[in-house]
Amino acid sequence: MEFLGSASDASCITRARRRQAYDDSTEFKSKNLHAERRRRQKLSDRLLTLRSLVPMITNMNKATIIEDAITYVEVLQRDVKILSDQLLEMESSSEEKEKPIKIDDQIDNADDQEMKKNGIEEDVEVTKINGKKLWMKIVFEKKRGRFTKLLEAMTYLGFEMTDTNVTTYKGVILVSASVERTYEDTLEVQETRELILQIIRSI
Amino acid sequence: MYEETGCFDPNSMAEDAVQENKELELQNQLSFNMDNSNNTNHLMQHDPNQSNWDTSVQVLTYQRRHDHIDFNHISQDDQQHCNINVSSSFSPTTPDLLNLLHLPRCTASNSSISFANPNQTPSVYDPLFHLNLPPQPPLFRELFQSIPHGYSLQNSLFGDERDTIGGADLEFSREIACIGRGGREAGGGKIKKHFATERQRREQLNDKYKALRSLVPNPTKTDRASVVGDAIDYIKELLRTLNELKLLVEKKRCGRERSKRHKTEDDGAGDVESCNMKPLGDPDQSYNYGSLRSSWLQRKSTDTEVDVRIIDDEVTIKLIQRKKIDCLLFISKVLDHLQLDLHHVAGGHIGDYYSFLFNTKILEGSSVYAGAVANKLIEVMDRQYAAVPPTSSY
Repeated sequence: MEFLGSASDASCITRARRRQAYDDSTEFKSKNLHAERRRRQKLSDRLLTLRSLVPMITNMNKATIIEDAITYVEVLQRDVKILSDQLLEMESSSEEKEKPIKIDDQIDNADDQEMKKNGIEEDVEVTKINGKKLWMKIVFEKKRGRFTKLLEAMTYLGFEMTDTNVTTYKGVILVSASVERTYEDTLEVQETRELILQIIRSI
Repeated sequence: MYEETGCFDPNSMAEDAVQENKELELQNQLSFNMDNSNNTNHLMQHDPNQSNWDTSVQVLTYQRRHDHIDFNHISQDDQQHCNINVSSSFSPTTPDLLNLLHLPRCTASNSSISFANPNQTPSVYDPLFHLNLPPQPPLFRELFQSIPHGYSLQNSLFGDERDTIGGADLEFSREIACIGRGGREAGGGKIKKHFATERQRREQLNDKYKALRSLVPNPTKTDRASVVGDAIDYIKELLRTLNELKLLVEKKRCGRERSKRHKTEDDGAGDVESCNMKPLGDPDQSYNYGSLRSSWLQRKSTDTEVDVRIIDDEVTIKLIQRKKIDCLLFISKVLDHLQLDLHHVAGGHIGDYYSFLFNTKILEGSSVYAGAVANKLIEVMDRQYAAVPPTSSY
């Protein structure tokens, strides 16, 4: 009978069903065949790549590739964790803490000299674009953490930078940004300029 | 459907859940798959849910087909017991191996096979003959032959048999014990997997794909090809991170050694200089300074995407975030915290997104690696999102 002839395991049964399906729709068969073949090819290519990456321990069939990949990923993750913990531990040792501070001073000193050397002045330019939008250009001396403080001050005052461009050159930071005012009260252009200048000088 | 006779009747175990539990118990006792009453479903395509087709049974019957002479060597009175005739309705009630194995039984209506009367000469009829089973290892034959007759279904059963069954059979029976859903070994074990059904094999394979997917940090699609693709990318990323970390640890260690050395020499005066110097003669250093440190990884969270690339001491960060939060400030803080010196920033509002590109330089003395940067950024961004409703702006 059918069930006997169709064999003992699911694959054979699906083969029989597929045969039936093919008979029913020979047109679709050819379209699907190509797509299915491509799909299977894609999967087998990727499995091959995976196989090549993993230092495999056991057999080479599909199931064991995946299995070995799982163990390998876990091993790698563990190693990364060990190394990063080690690094953290090394960083927290007292010797390391001394160095960054010294180096900061070095860098800052270098920048100071550069800016003065090149005669670049601190500067703020503000222009109104439309409504609440302003365009700003800010030039100030580069020091560690100054940019962050500038941003802090601006957020505090309700200025939101929508499009920003920041570059550094010769110890100077140039910020050119289009800024939106989020507060209701509008400041005049001159007032804004004065404000920003004050901020720069204070940070 | 199928009538099981004999002292043990699995059908009497009622419903599926109970049945499965009990069968597993028995399975352990006998180390045979007791689920045979369901096996026939496979053949019959009656109940797709119960599909524990016992290949051991197939083995048995296949062997019997070929070795029916051997089979007949078992004492005559047992012929009636160990009757190959699977038509249960005719089998005697004595507990025999076949009944215990719950060989698949076919109802007469579906089968073209005629069942011989068991009480007649034990014809070695194999109902599975038509199936053209692949040749199975002879283990089971030995197992079958060595089992004495007329045993009862008890715990001691298998215990007794263990003595008689050879080593190979023990292994095989252990395999059989692993049959069933619970037989999946955590990767790395040496127990051979022996699947009772193709379906189980498929399910295990799917489970493995799921497990692989769960390991990867940014899984996208669920289909097999992309799971494997993501895994490939992740493995490469992990290898890169490992290289980077090794380099950093090496550098740190050598830096320490150097500073220690110089301390002893110049009484601590040379600390800063020593770490800026690059002694060429040091064998440990040559590797580090010859190779360029490079690393790259991507991380995605629900609303943020971060791409971090490190070449030597320059870190390039590309950040895309979906919500309208002014993130520049927080990112700048993070960069300061990680000791990254901002050299260039470009970005702004693009449609629904905020996109930024940061070019930074690692400050001397900081050992930060790509993973740390990405994780920290994502963490800060997510925290901000969580905090957004109460505090919209300062």
